Amino acid sequence: MAACDAINDSETKKGPVPEGWLKRAIQRNGAGYMFLAPWLIGFFCLTLGPALISLYLSFTNFDLLTAPEFVGAQNYVRMATADPKFTAAIKVTLLYVALSVPLKLAFALAIAMVLNRGMRGLPVYRAIFYLPSLLGTSVAIAVLWRQLFASDGLVNAMLAMVGIEGPSWISNPNYSLYTLVVLSVWQFGSPMIIFLAGLRQIPTDMYEAASLDGASPTRQFLRITLPLLSPVIFFNFVIQTIEAFKAFTPAFVISGGSGGPINSTLFYTLYLYQEAFSYFRMGYASALAWVLVIIIAIFTAFSFLTTKYWVHYDD
Amino acid sequence: MNSTNIGRRRLLGAGLAMASLPFLGSAPALAQQAGNIRMIWWGGDERARRTNAAIDLFKQANPGVTVESEFMGWDDYWARLATQVAGGNAPDFIQMDYRYMFEYARRGAIRPLDEFLGKELAIADFGQVNLDSCSVDGKLYGGNVGVNAFSVVFDGKAWDEAGVNAPTLGLSWDGFAEQCAAFTSANKRSRVYATADGSCQEGLFEVWLRTQGKALYNPDGTLGYDAADAGRWFAYWTEMRKAKSCVPADTQALYKNSPETSPIVTGSAVTDFAHSNQFESFQKLVQAELSVVGAPVQEGGKPGQYLKPSQMFSVSSTSKDPALAARMINFLVRAPEGARLLGLDRGVPASPEIREAIMPDLSETSRKVVELISSLTPHIGALPPSPPKGAGEINAVQIRISQEVGFEAVSPEQGGASLVDEAAAILKRA
Amino acid sequence: MTDAVHDMPGRASAHPRLNSVLRHTLLIAVCFVMIYPILWMLSGSLRPAAELFGGEAGLIPSQVTLQAYRDGWFGLQVNFGRFFVNSLIIAVLATVGNVLAASLVAYAFARLQFAGRKLWFALMLGTMMLPYHVTLIPQYVLFRELGWVNTWWPLILPKYFAVDAFFIFLMVQFFRGIPRELDEAARMDGCSPWRIYRKIILPLSLPVLATAAIFSFIWTWEDFFGPLIYISEMGNYTVQLGLRSFIDSSGTSSWNELFAMSILSLVPIFLIFLFFQRLLIEGIATTGMKR
Repeated sequence: MAACDAINDSETKKGPVPEGWLKRAIQRNGAGYMFLAPWLIGFFCLTLGPALISLYLSFTNFDLLTAPEFVGAQNYVRMATADPKFTAAIKVTLLYVALSVPLKLAFALAIAMVLNRGMRGLPVYRAIFYLPSLLGTSVAIAVLWRQLFASDGLVNAMLAMVGIEGPSWISNPNYSLYTLVVLSVWQFGSPMIIFLAGLRQIPTDMYEAASLDGASPTRQFLRITLPLLSPVIFFNFVIQTIEAFKAFTPAFVISGGSGGPINSTLFYTLYLYQEAFSYFRMGYASALAWVLVIIIAIFTAFSFLTTKYWVHYDD
Repeated sequence: MNSTNIGRRRLLGAGLAMASLPFLGSAPALAQQAGNIRMIWWGGDERARRTNAAIDLFKQANPGVTVESEFMGWDDYWARLATQVAGGNAPDFIQMDYRYMFEYARRGAIRPLDEFLGKELAIADFGQVNLDSCSVDGKLYGGNVGVNAFSVVFDGKAWDEAGVNAPTLGLSWDGFAEQCAAFTSANKRSRVYATADGSCQEGLFEVWLRTQGKALYNPDGTLGYDAADAGRWFAYWTEMRKAKSCVPADTQALYKNSPETSPIVTGSAVTDFAHSNQFESFQKLVQAELSVVGAPVQEGGKPGQYLKPSQMFSVSSTSKDPALAARMINFLVRAPEGARLLGLDRGVPASPEIREAIMPDLSETSRKVVELISSLTPHIGALPPSPPKGAGEINAVQIRISQEVGFEAVSPEQGGASLVDEAAAILKRA
Repeated sequence: MTDAVHDMPGRASAHPRLNSVLRHTLLIAVCFVMIYPILWMLSGSLRPAAELFGGEAGLIPSQVTLQAYRDGWFGLQVNFGRFFVNSLIIAVLATVGNVLAASLVAYAFARLQFAGRKLWFALMLGTMMLPYHVTLIPQYVLFRELGWVNTWWPLILPKYFAVDAFFIFLMVQFFRGIPRELDEAARMDGCSPWRIYRKIILPLSLPVLATAAIFSFIWTWEDFFGPLIYISEMGNYTVQLGLRSFIDSSGTSSWNELFAMSILSLVPIFLIFLFFQRLLIEGIATTGMKR
């Protein structure tokens, strides 16, 4: 960073010497803010306002249809003291994050490594592996998943071949959340693509040199691939964690919006949605949303703090 | 969309010559003297074809009137409607659900229609009961689009093959359990049960309570049953489950309140419970020919069933031309030419005259629904008191607890007690 | 040297052919798991509705009919082709906006020094954390005030202001992987930040730009909630809104039509993927990546 500042300074000396702090500030920061401008405009004009309004609403009893009344911290107090559904939703969501994120990333990385190698038909494989992710949020997913994981579904048909009689995975409260984890892993296309792009960025001569030195593939993976891919792994980890915390559609589509059976798939945002739009408590839903922001922010900040130990940047 | 946007739209439009692309909203309606109506409703493509045909006819009959109609499925409908209403852009003409009507009416989002009665809205022949069922606190908030009853749907041939009498109107709850047990012992197909598990069905629970002189809710908005009642309800179905007369808990838990997830459609039961207006959608997804009758009764008990609107057409309290909206409601639910186009898709028309008028056009399946309503009419009881705020949430609690009982996480008695406790807490909060 | 990474089959094993057979077998097995549900959907689009949800239905329909494709395409007030055109226009414009705006902003975060950089970066990440359900109504009011309701603007214009932090963060991570010596050398030669962005950063970032373009296109194509809230006229519908028009959980749904049109709706994004993945894989980035 210091080198960069030095360059800025040297550039400064080339042009006419600016006078006063304002000019200096513009000189130092002008380019940065010019490039940042699109986002700044979007942030202040489109994003910030609605976010602040929802923050305000979290201190009201807004019911969607009549004017909100200020109720102080009542919503937050209720969440902390008197809402078993909130506790249930937190548990379901944490379990989902803890399971789906590592599994999905590991799967995506493994497949990306395989697909990065030279072999026949690579584009076709890649496309097929991405296909599930194309289905995204389709309502058809609900039907498809039932075909797989109901008591008479494909999974049980296969288990029956080896003599096991499986339960109705998708509608049994002990297993239903895991079928959603499987769904999340099945749609591993996005992190896979990002890993592939990251693998492309690793200079090939490093592998060549390592091969010449007689390094084993495992060693090459640990010494070259992992460190050089670490910014991308970090990115995928942060993004997938945020997305998993906010996951809504899978549970909404598969449980028919109920989060059932017995709240076993009551994702946090699904609960929030029910409160807002089924039970007319947008004020409470807003408070739920801001608590989620705080939870995710803590996780993210913590992830960033760990980067200095394992993420390798070129700068 | 609406006139307040026109100024801004013109501003935008000045700089952008992209008139052919829909970047600039719908073309502003210029012929304003006869009015413009924005209409929103839920449904699928089949209902869309019927509704659009009726709207076209309404526009023909009212030259100069423009109607902008939008629709979507039930799952997406309420978030979109709430956003529009809260965003100050409420549609004039709103399709309402029985339960949501109370929420919207009590919060002042839809308006009373009494002033149009007998004028724009000539629906006196619906009968008092069908007007009351669309009223909140004594004021009329919607035009009844279709009469609905809770019903038992079954595959008659499957019952015949088992050599057991299929459910009939007037069958008692005990008789129902016995017949299901007889079916079970005669049944040879694996994974097929006599009936779905009805413990999660609020409509069925309500009928059961009413036959015993109880209700879901009292007129003062408190709970109309106690923990023992709810416990007995869950116990009835626990017995059914133990006898293998109804589907196991994990099969019932697949049911998401939609026809394609119901046990009779997925082939795990030969009997199920549904609102009568869903009968046709069940039939569409099942190869066997289905029949429909009323729910079981209590011997010597009170009439449990009642006719409630499957849905109603309401008018937003911010509509600039509520009289025109009322006229359109009348056209769709009472004018023969409009109501005929809607058919039976939203329920059986409340007006006897309309019912007569559409009979000849009906399919065999539709006719069964009309016959059901006609056969039930002599046996119906009074309209129950209107559900209080929070009733929707209590419905969800019943579903959850029925699953807890079904998966044997709690006993039926415990389930009954916690249903009453949680319901009371919800009512207190609302 | 560009293609060296995927041309080292001999590196891993002494029996390349056996290894390759093994790998293909495994991949094909995984592929089947991947596409089974899609095959099921395809078969669902071809069979009678009454056969869809009964338990015993396998992959092979008892009778095959293309009826659902015809009914789906022409069954709504507006035929489905219109939705494809609409979605295509929206997705292309949104993709251009996303890639353009996000790459500019990401360049600022990755390479330029300015006061408040860390704060802005944290806020940018923060915008990803708030569930959209609670900002829906204020945003609706905002867009209504702007006259954007029932237009495509809410689905397109925000992308030109980089409101989707995902793309910024993605590009920041990749830009930071580009050796700094390259742009520092250019800077010594008197290149402006704009020239460095255009002549060094962008050309070296083809894989990530292609990635962003793929995601941007596909996610816009699949976006359902935005169109649901902002588009009411059927002539303006996107494919996703059209698909949902077949389904009403409270009543009669046309499942065959849904499956048929879902299959068709996968075709354009599948083609887009195939096209862009070539950019992604044949990206020239590696050539400049020596250090």
